[in-house]
Amino acid sequence: MSEKTQTRKEQFREFINGSLSIAERRIDVAVIAGLIAVAVAMPTVASVLMGYPGVASNVLIWMLFAVSFNLLLGYTGLLSFGHAMFLGGSMYIVAIVMTQFGPGMIVLGIPLALALIGLLAYGIGRLIVQKGEIYFALLTIAFGEVVWYIANSNPGGVTGGDDGIASGLLPPLVESYRGILTIELGSFIVSIYWAIAAVFVVATYLLFRIVRSPFGRTLITIRENEQLARSIGVNTRRYKINAFMLSAVFSAVAGIMLLIVNQSVATSYLYWETSGEVVMMTIVGGLSSFAGPMFGAFLWFLGSEFLSGWQAIGALRHYWQFGFGLLFIIIILVEPRKGGWGAIKKAVRWAANKLLGGN
Amino acid sequence: MTTTWRVIYALLGLWVLLTIAVKPGLFATQLISGLVYGMILVMIALGLTLILGLMGVINFAHGAFFMLGAYLAYAIVAQSGLSIWIALIAAPIGVGVLGVLVERFLLRRLYGTEPINGLLLTFGLALMIEESIRFIWGSSPMSYSADILTEPVPLLVTQIAGIRVFTTIVGIISVTAIYLLIVRTDFGLSIRAGVQDPEMTELVGENLPIKFTFLFFIGSALAGLAGVLRGAETGIDPGMASLFIILVFVVIVVGGIGSFFGSVAGGLLIGTAMFLVPTMLNTLATTTGISWINLQGVRRVVPFVVMIVVLLARPRGLFGEEGFLE
Repeated sequence: MSEKTQTRKEQFREFINGSLSIAERRIDVAVIAGLIAVAVAMPTVASVLMGYPGVASNVLIWMLFAVSFNLLLGYTGLLSFGHAMFLGGSMYIVAIVMTQFGPGMIVLGIPLALALIGLLAYGIGRLIVQKGEIYFALLTIAFGEVVWYIANSNPGGVTGGDDGIASGLLPPLVESYRGILTIELGSFIVSIYWAIAAVFVVATYLLFRIVRSPFGRTLITIRENEQLARSIGVNTRRYKINAFMLSAVFSAVAGIMLLIVNQSVATSYLYWETSGEVVMMTIVGGLSSFAGPMFGAFLWFLGSEFLSGWQAIGALRHYWQFGFGLLFIIIILVEPRKGGWGAIKKAVRWAANKLLGGN
Repeated sequence: MTTTWRVIYALLGLWVLLTIAVKPGLFATQLISGLVYGMILVMIALGLTLILGLMGVINFAHGAFFMLGAYLAYAIVAQSGLSIWIALIAAPIGVGVLGVLVERFLLRRLYGTEPINGLLLTFGLALMIEESIRFIWGSSPMSYSADILTEPVPLLVTQIAGIRVFTTIVGIISVTAIYLLIVRTDFGLSIRAGVQDPEMTELVGENLPIKFTFLFFIGSALAGLAGVLRGAETGIDPGMASLFIILVFVVIVVGGIGSFFGSVAGGLLIGTAMFLVPTMLNTLATTTGISWINLQGVRRVVPFVVMIVVLLARPRGLFGEEGFLE
């Protein structure tokens, strides 16, 4: 074995097992503060840029979905084109439990959805995670289509077929006044947005801890060089399956929140084009950083809510996805990993250097 | 293991025989429909496989090329009032030219990088083509007349639409032509050499980039041709790209990624399975009296079940080569 490989191995070992420095621990506080700031600012940002604050909870939910998707694409290097099955699948599971056994059973439906989605991802992961990356992408589409078909064929009349499920989905404690949802605990009334925001902050922070843990560092090692990772004793298959499962479960958390906010679920959430949307959000935002996918999800909503209502561009506004596709292609050609967030970071660094007469 | 598979094959055979015995007419019609549908899949899959096998690019926009062929035919036949024969020539060439532009200006920059980048770039491209088609022609389903090709043609126990016979003939001709091009011509030889060892091939004086571009033209034009035929048979709508590209991915995975025979066998297998499985389930339901077996809309999921079964039995597909794109 050559000297160079040996040192690379050592580097990987150190990288995986290295403990967090004090400076890195400070990052935790900054990340939590940043997430809370995003959550607090989002309703205002949404109403200024997108016309109405109601979209803010959707933006946060898709941000979480994109970050959990990126655990797989950005950190493990696996492209899943079937992630809609986890988002939509959890929505369906909770919705079915609520319509079959009463809205109060949401307390059972949520853990059941998380467990079943985890199990589904584990099974699929076991079958396909070791296939080549192109095989993996195509097989995830295929499994997603099977799940889509099952929901569409309305087994036992529980999924509502093409129409989906749109009634009997108001959980206890949640009240709806003309479409605006609030949580009521006695005289304490708060917008459902803040519950969503709280889950968003906690779940996203957990994901951040995961990518910085030895587990997350092992995933990065696998992405960088799978053979070398195997040669230092990493069971790469098991790590990939676990990454797939974790990513699915966090996507399921996003799905459950989406169900609560939208009070309905339809087969379009399971269709592979929804999987494609999260792929685009992640890449346009930038998959090499933790915040990139969140930025991409934000841009997607900015596109769909702002551009599609922008009268100045006439009928073209209905075709805003064309522009998003163009942006996507440019990013793939120029810098496939850094994306829009990377560009912003670079610009800020450049500006800071200019202003501070920097080094 | 082998005994289990033998029992499974025997049961499947019995089931097919039962269906033929109970519903011979329906079986024949569905078999023909399945083969015609399979032929469309083969034509799209061949272009995709050529590009994938020889250039290592998985072209997500291939379905959009297929759809564009159908819409160009609509523009030629229904909007300009020209003959379907002109559409059959002009639309594939138009799509082929677009394919060449895509290859030269976009995909060429990605050769040698991770294959995932090509997949992603063409995914964005597919979205842009779909949005453009919605912008130009709208979202509602439309159709164009294939004049003389719509006449029914008698065929043994049944009769089928002329366009289907025509589709089958065109499909067979294209498959043969592509096979001869790759296996029997100097052009095919240099392409295959270029895949094995690009540097050496260029060193002996082959201009590979031009040949790859030409290959991309052929693949795209074939998808466009399939689009014209499919559009003439069942009409067009902007959803046809996303439906077919997924089916064709299944076809090439079942056949074995990058394999010529794989895409032909896979396409015909998936096509016939999609049409025969509902009929077979229906027969089983009527003969046994268990009605729930007759699953509604089962056709849409058949390809994926076939794929999962094939991959469990043969991890690299029916004709897949070891180590390809892994």
